[in-house]
Amino acid sequence: MVENSLFAKPRDLFVDVVNAKDYIQIDSVSHMYQSLKNSVEKPLKMILLYGKPGTGKSMLLHKLHYDLSKHQKVFMIGTPIVEEEDFLRVLAQQIFGHSPRDGISLNRFLDIAQALTLPDVPIVLLDEAQLYSSSLMEKIRLISDARAVKFVITLHKTDKEDIIAKEHFQTRIWESFELKNATAEELKVYVQKKLLKANCFDVANMFNDKNMKLITAFTRGNYRETNKLLFALFSLYCWYEENHPAAIKYNALKPKWVEMAAIHTGLIRA
Amino acid sequence: MLNIHDLERRWLRYKIKHYFPYFIGGTLILLAFAGMMGWFATSAGTSASSQEADNTHKQESMPADHTTMQTDRTILEPSMRFVEAFQKNAPVVQTSSAPVLTPKPAITTLPPPKMLQMPDPAQSHSVASATNPDKSLSINRNESKTDIEELQIRFKETSNANLGLFIAKYHYDRGNYAEAYNYALKTNSINSRIDESWILFSKSLVKLGRTEQAKKTLQLYYQQSNSEAAKALLNSIEHGTFK
Repeated sequence: MVENSLFAKPRDLFVDVVNAKDYIQIDSVSHMYQSLKNSVEKPLKMILLYGKPGTGKSMLLHKLHYDLSKHQKVFMIGTPIVEEEDFLRVLAQQIFGHSPRDGISLNRFLDIAQALTLPDVPIVLLDEAQLYSSSLMEKIRLISDARAVKFVITLHKTDKEDIIAKEHFQTRIWESFELKNATAEELKVYVQKKLLKANCFDVANMFNDKNMKLITAFTRGNYRETNKLLFALFSLYCWYEENHPAAIKYNALKPKWVEMAAIHTGLIRA
Repeated sequence: MLNIHDLERRWLRYKIKHYFPYFIGGTLILLAFAGMMGWFATSAGTSASSQEADNTHKQESMPADHTTMQTDRTILEPSMRFVEAFQKNAPVVQTSSAPVLTPKPAITTLPPPKMLQMPDPAQSHSVASATNPDKSLSINRNESKTDIEELQIRFKETSNANLGLFIAKYHYDRGNYAEAYNYALKTNSINSRIDESWILFSKSLVKLGRTEQAKKTLQLYYQQSNSEAAKALLNSIEHGTFK
């Protein structure tokens, strides 16, 4: 391993993990985030955040949790709890500090909520809500209808999940936000901001419009795919830095290596 | 763990696969073109040889009988009219009474010069700009502005040459040439060995109308560094091709 490697730090930046501290502000997303925050303040029962996988829904939800938890009671259920009784028990435990030994019914949950009137309606953030069963979603709807809890949920946008959304939330008071894949310009801002935040100025300078178009063509503006591709790309740079440093051009990315990284991540079939 | 050699091999296979349809398409077009050329050559050759054969036959038959020669002349008249009619249709009327059966009338029937069919350059330019709206697109972002301001503050604090270059590039791309000039200048004073920074500095000078100073800078920098990029930029400025 090369000491003081130029590309090891950028490589580690693009490990695909969701951490609110790694949140990068992009204009379109940050406007949406602001609207989402405003919606949370409104007396809405349920807020829906949906989009294709890799569009940044989980990151936005984590960021919301990070920001809101400074001022109010907000709970995050990142990994879906598919068993109904377990779900209600965890919810009662987290929100009301009530920890029953056995499972808890919906009526019991609502009774507890009514008995322990909180000054503000607690907020629960549910990630990957498409994994919840229809009957559990119905219970979630009933809890939000009773204004016991305010839910912010994320859904993958597929035909199936659209049906789920229609069945459960169509007649409810809710607001929805759709997250979309990034454009080449937005992706460039995302990558460069991420690098600049970590003081990788020289590597940030290597990204230009041309190679960002190539990256966007491979990843279709999907943040998760971009992270994977850039992780592979900087791993390649690390290898060349160690074994064949003369091959590296420091003023721009090599399209060949971008393509090789795309092959490695399965974005190109070769 | 990355297997670079395997990746390089797969990349080569991908490139071959990627360019294969273009190669096949190109080859087919070439073959079709060659086939057409061959067909034209053969058909032209056949008609020429048949004409030649007719001529020799006539020339051979001419001295045989003088009376038949007279008759031959009258027989040739219709074909002359055909040629005249052919010439009348052409844009330029040839007045000379051409001798019998020469390939010249065929030349007069050539289509008008291509220049007439060329579109108006201004019009084609506007079409090009209309079909490429991306280049004329300008996005104003408030947050980007605050971001760059934050970066400028960080540059003041850290004096990092790469950050300076990044900011200079940012301003140059947005047409803020004076700012680009300032940041490239600052970057050069921190680290005078960054090629790109000198290039950006000179480009900004040209954009600010200080072409002579840009040339001088590039000449001096080239003498010191032997930078190919600097030389190329200097040449393009001198030849007036720099935009």
